[in-house]
Amino acid sequence: MAGKPVRPVNAIDQTRRMLSLVTYLRERPGARIADVARAFGITEDELVSDLDLLPMCGTSFRGGDLLDIDTDGERIWWHNAAALGEEAAEPLRLAADEATALLVAARAVSTLPGLREGDRQALLRATAKVETAAGEAAGASSRLSVTFESEGGVFADVDRAIAERRRLWIRYYSPARDEVTEREIDPIRLVSVGHTYVEAWCRRSEARRTFRLDRVAEIRILDEPSAPPEIELRDLSEALVQPAAEDPEVVIEVGPGGRWVAEYYPHDSADELPDGGLRITLRTPDPASLRRLALRLGRDGRIVSPPELADSARRAAGEALAAYDTAAGAVRRGDDGQE
Amino acid sequence: MAIAKAERLMNLALCLLGTRRPLSKRELRESIEAYLEAGSDDSFNRMFERDKDDLRELGLVIATVENLDGEVGYLARRDSNRLPPITLDAEEAAALGLAAKVWQQARLAGAASGALQKLRAAGLPEDVDPYEAHGALEPRIPVHEAAFEPLMLACRDRRPVVFDYRKASAAHPETRHVEPWALECWRGHWYLAGWDRDRGAERVFRLSRITGRVRSRGTGFTVSVPDVVTVRETVAGWAGEIADRSALIRLRAGAGYPLRAKATEVRELGDGWDELEIPYGHGLDAWLVEFGPDVVVLEPAELRADVVDRLRAVAKG
Repeated sequence: MAGKPVRPVNAIDQTRRMLSLVTYLRERPGARIADVARAFGITEDELVSDLDLLPMCGTSFRGGDLLDIDTDGERIWWHNAAALGEEAAEPLRLAADEATALLVAARAVSTLPGLREGDRQALLRATAKVETAAGEAAGASSRLSVTFESEGGVFADVDRAIAERRRLWIRYYSPARDEVTEREIDPIRLVSVGHTYVEAWCRRSEARRTFRLDRVAEIRILDEPSAPPEIELRDLSEALVQPAAEDPEVVIEVGPGGRWVAEYYPHDSADELPDGGLRITLRTPDPASLRRLALRLGRDGRIVSPPELADSARRAAGEALAAYDTAAGAVRRGDDGQE
Repeated sequence: MAIAKAERLMNLALCLLGTRRPLSKRELRESIEAYLEAGSDDSFNRMFERDKDDLRELGLVIATVENLDGEVGYLARRDSNRLPPITLDAEEAAALGLAAKVWQQARLAGAASGALQKLRAAGLPEDVDPYEAHGALEPRIPVHEAAFEPLMLACRDRRPVVFDYRKASAAHPETRHVEPWALECWRGHWYLAGWDRDRGAERVFRLSRITGRVRSRGTGFTVSVPDVVTVRETVAGWAGEIADRSALIRLRAGAGYPLRAKATEVRELGDGWDELEIPYGHGLDAWLVEFGPDVVVLEPAELRADVVDRLRAVAKG
């Protein structure tokens, strides 16, 4: 099984954790390493490195009152819990950043439209209690807020299908092709990163797919059981769309007005151009899907390669213009001499 | 080998928490091995000041007291550092456990875990796996913008900032002097609302458009912070979601599902085309052009001209 990613040791985080650990261990002689690591949300290795450090800590390194904490690899024993006065062993108040981090996250999660009502109520109660306990430290948390976007009804159906392990039928809009297709999917999990997505095994393509909930046009929970194959879950935090190295390359040049492309499309490189624009290189399994982008950019950018993609955008624009020539209510002719 | 910083901080914290009377710098230096090894007085003093700041950052309230001889002493008083009593049931604990995991920014992720650990030490119930309790939901708050952390601290401490900002369509960044009020994440992007000193007005900035470093300005705010800061309405306006007019278009049958989803009225024309009425806000012209030959704008004339103009630019290549 893959372990958690190794986090860099941060002295402030480790100190705050050790202070809580001391309070926690004092109440629980013989606590199990595995239980304590889980309660603190850290790996056993991280806990062991704390336990290596704690015997060097105390109110004086001379007086023999260092913390006498050790472990046999399974349980943790503290032989002189009295060495630490009552004062030093009490739970500490929350810092401003701690209160902000927890409260902002709790408020954001409580607005998720698909959250079960019981969970939402529990979260709201907990938030109010933490606000009270944090006191002044809670004040700064109003300067940060997060809104998750998700489609309430679709979300509730996906959540239920996952809980009941049932297959879903959806009509799904794909912007790349501007079409709505029907498919059956075995949902695995819901992920909210700005937008909300369901990661699922798609029965039509026999592959793992990620579907954005606001693009689900219609949804039904089927009677068939969901049976996604065992697949390793990816870390979706960086980007939901992860282009493969063998995907074809697309080069786009944009002017200053098209710089937003670099904010919205994951890319390999974005080089500054002398006019304040960018030359953006990205990879996509399906370059044709970028025709929309080429049309949208208008005079703010153009596709450099592949040439077929540039041609198809030009052709599409030409066809669209022809419709204006024939549509009711004649369009002004261009002033470039064309009829 | 140098003594780990966490060990030094932990010792200072335990000394300050464990004492009933203020401890002088000299006493602290004698009790903490890392300080004895610090070498010169200068390097000890610098280290000590930094360590106090770090402990304050993680929430410790350290009092500075001067005794009759004029010597300064330090202590972390019990009543100002104790977490007030808080009792959470298993459901509430599980809900907070889920919330504590959503940050993808190192500082806030660390702070959220730290908060939860302090609550654990105070008796927060365990044993419930938050993911088990909350089904398949995995909310994440993304933070990709480098400007986030300095701005978060500036909002927290109410400190004015200076940064270079490139507007969506500007070729070059421009220096902006801002009193930062609040940060908001919407659709996965972070925005800052604040008072723009150069413009003399409230402004919203998108963090991804801040170039270079965010610098602090020592002076305080000159304008009072409003009770309610609304970032979303401004951003929704940029995104064209605030529409005050409507447009009439023809759409090829079967195409343009998102346009249909937004339409206030859809009429089948029967010749392979439908007629739609859709809200007309900022950016609609660029969106309609994406659909190429599947969309024809009928009204208003201004929108029709904008779309034709854009199509011509693409057709010319």
